[in-house]
Amino acid sequence: MLTRIRAALGNRPRSKGTLAALGERMARPPIGPRPQLTDDPVSRLVAKTQANLFSVERIASLQMLVPAVRALLPETAVPDISVAPALKHLGWPSDWSINFGPGRRTENLSVTMAIAGIAETGSVVLRSDPASPTTLNFLPDVHVIVLRTEDVVPYPEDVWARLRSKGGDWPRTVNIVAGPSRTADVGGIIVRPAHGPKSVHLILCES
Amino acid sequence: MAVKTLDFHARASKAITNESLQKSFSNLKSGFVAARARAVAALPEFEAMREAGAAIKDHTLDNLDFYLERFEAEVTKRGGKVHWAADAEEARLIIREICADVGAKTVVKGKSMVSEEIGLNEALEAEGLEVLETDAGEYIVQLAKEAPSHIVMPTVHKTTEDIADLFQEHHRAYGFSERAHDAAELIAQVRTLMRDKYFAADVGITGANFLIAETGSNIIVTNEGNGDLSCTLARVHIVTAGIEKLVPTLNDASVLLRLLARSALGLETTSYTTLSTGPRRPGDLDGPEQYHVVLVDNGRTKMLAGAFRPMLRCIRCGACMNHCPVYLSVGGHAYGSVYPGPMGSVLTPMIAGHEKAKELPHACTLNGRCQQVCPVKIPLPDLLRRLRHDQWEEGFIKGKARWGISLWSWLAARPALYRILTRLGITVLGIAGRSRGSFTRLPLAGGWTTGRDMPAPQGTTFHAAWAKRKKRA
Repeated sequence: MLTRIRAALGNRPRSKGTLAALGERMARPPIGPRPQLTDDPVSRLVAKTQANLFSVERIASLQMLVPAVRALLPETAVPDISVAPALKHLGWPSDWSINFGPGRRTENLSVTMAIAGIAETGSVVLRSDPASPTTLNFLPDVHVIVLRTEDVVPYPEDVWARLRSKGGDWPRTVNIVAGPSRTADVGGIIVRPAHGPKSVHLILCES
Repeated sequence: MAVKTLDFHARASKAITNESLQKSFSNLKSGFVAARARAVAALPEFEAMREAGAAIKDHTLDNLDFYLERFEAEVTKRGGKVHWAADAEEARLIIREICADVGAKTVVKGKSMVSEEIGLNEALEAEGLEVLETDAGEYIVQLAKEAPSHIVMPTVHKTTEDIADLFQEHHRAYGFSERAHDAAELIAQVRTLMRDKYFAADVGITGANFLIAETGSNIIVTNEGNGDLSCTLARVHIVTAGIEKLVPTLNDASVLLRLLARSALGLETTSYTTLSTGPRRPGDLDGPEQYHVVLVDNGRTKMLAGAFRPMLRCIRCGACMNHCPVYLSVGGHAYGSVYPGPMGSVLTPMIAGHEKAKELPHACTLNGRCQQVCPVKIPLPDLLRRLRHDQWEEGFIKGKARWGISLWSWLAARPALYRILTRLGITVLGIAGRSRGSFTRLPLAGGWTTGRDMPAPQGTTFHAAWAKRKKRA
């Protein structure tokens, strides 16, 4: 097929200069026009995620996470939730039923750790690795996402730059989440949820 | 692609008298057109983004071989496999073989227009596989054994009642004995039954909104989360994508993503944007064991070579159809192809051949709205005109039409005679129609007068009015 594509493009061999320019473009990708952001990234992220129907809560440190999650659960039952292994060390109560594995078919609530927040669109970015299974982002009814304020960036291009600079292997999955799962495929009426979480709760952690 | 476009006229006439269809498509017009207009008005950089989007696509197409090689190298490096399919048949064969190799029984699918283009579902079902569309809209049209009527909103032609009937008939097998009454109940049924399917699936097939040469990733955007679940829970992830989906880097994709959500839905972004790169990594707790990308040509290199290259910029947002008076009047099914509306009228003849899609380039008033709203500035009216020209050259336009156009072109090339004859014609018609003000029948204009009356000309010819106006100025 490449032979046919080259023929369709006129079979012109590329000069050294052209090849160098293509290589340079790939090594230092240009940034296109994008919306100007005037407010500071964290306040914009909060406003935009709320507009995207996230509920947003701020905590001072990760030590506050367990009580914050407790407050989201019904008081009457013993909590049965999933927590990403990345957050396993936080001293979860031993009498809770907690799954630290991948997502299950029925999943009330999951707690995951984001790698970035994008102020432009009010989105949160999650990556897959052994401590962050992707299924926890899509299977629960309530998705709780923890994000450090220092990881809030203005634009998606900033997220790509961070991931590139980390070196190592590019993650299998990067999920950008900008609200609960929804559809308008029946009569044009918006229904939440479709296949994913009914609600997304963002916990912004200051340190 | 099962192209039925030869009956465009018949299907369009039927659609125009279908009241429920007319109502659905007028909702589309008010909803999507207004939403897009608001999103564009809120973004002063939108025009600059359209320019940049078109430039990114043109640059990629100019260097498509270079970027495809890089893409393949990146996918391979991360343990995935790229397959090259010259046409629909080859693509179906490749996917059937992957499914057979892994002993697949159940296939779940995220929304993919190219999989419809290559007729994938039928091919896999013929092999005895269970194939399920997971996008609620695509699932509904799959149950109804219909084609999508819009590339973004496949069920725009279906009412809630239609869907309730359909589910009542098919969902008893899943234990839903009561008829669901509203959208929320209907979607809840889809959610419940699809959960089991995701977990049972051997293969998850998704499309790609973008392929990224830099990393060897595919990007899908969804609001439902269905494609994302399909490609995470199945043992094998197969991506089907046209070769034109490629962009060099993630920064390029970011420009196009800003354009896509605004142009398609009037939103800044969809709920989910998911990048998948290769199979699961050592230590990962989930994700597919295999990752395949099937790159589909199917007429695209032919477009790359000629005047139709700008069509390969298309990012499948659907804005051209939302703004097309012909599409909004006749609906998506009249086009008889996976791709309806202005973009479909260009793509279908290029993919399926001129002879199968003769009528489509004429289903256009050349009003130019599609070009104005296209996020990557595809000159759709020019391309449609070009198709009409090609049809003429290839002799597809025959009989009365060819005779009439020849006569008109002969006359239009002789301005003096043209003016005399038009003045004469207008005077005669003006006098003949003076009493009623319009004609219900006219010789040689049956196509016009069966649907509406022809107003009787008043005053003078355009040429004369123009000359008079210039004189006054």
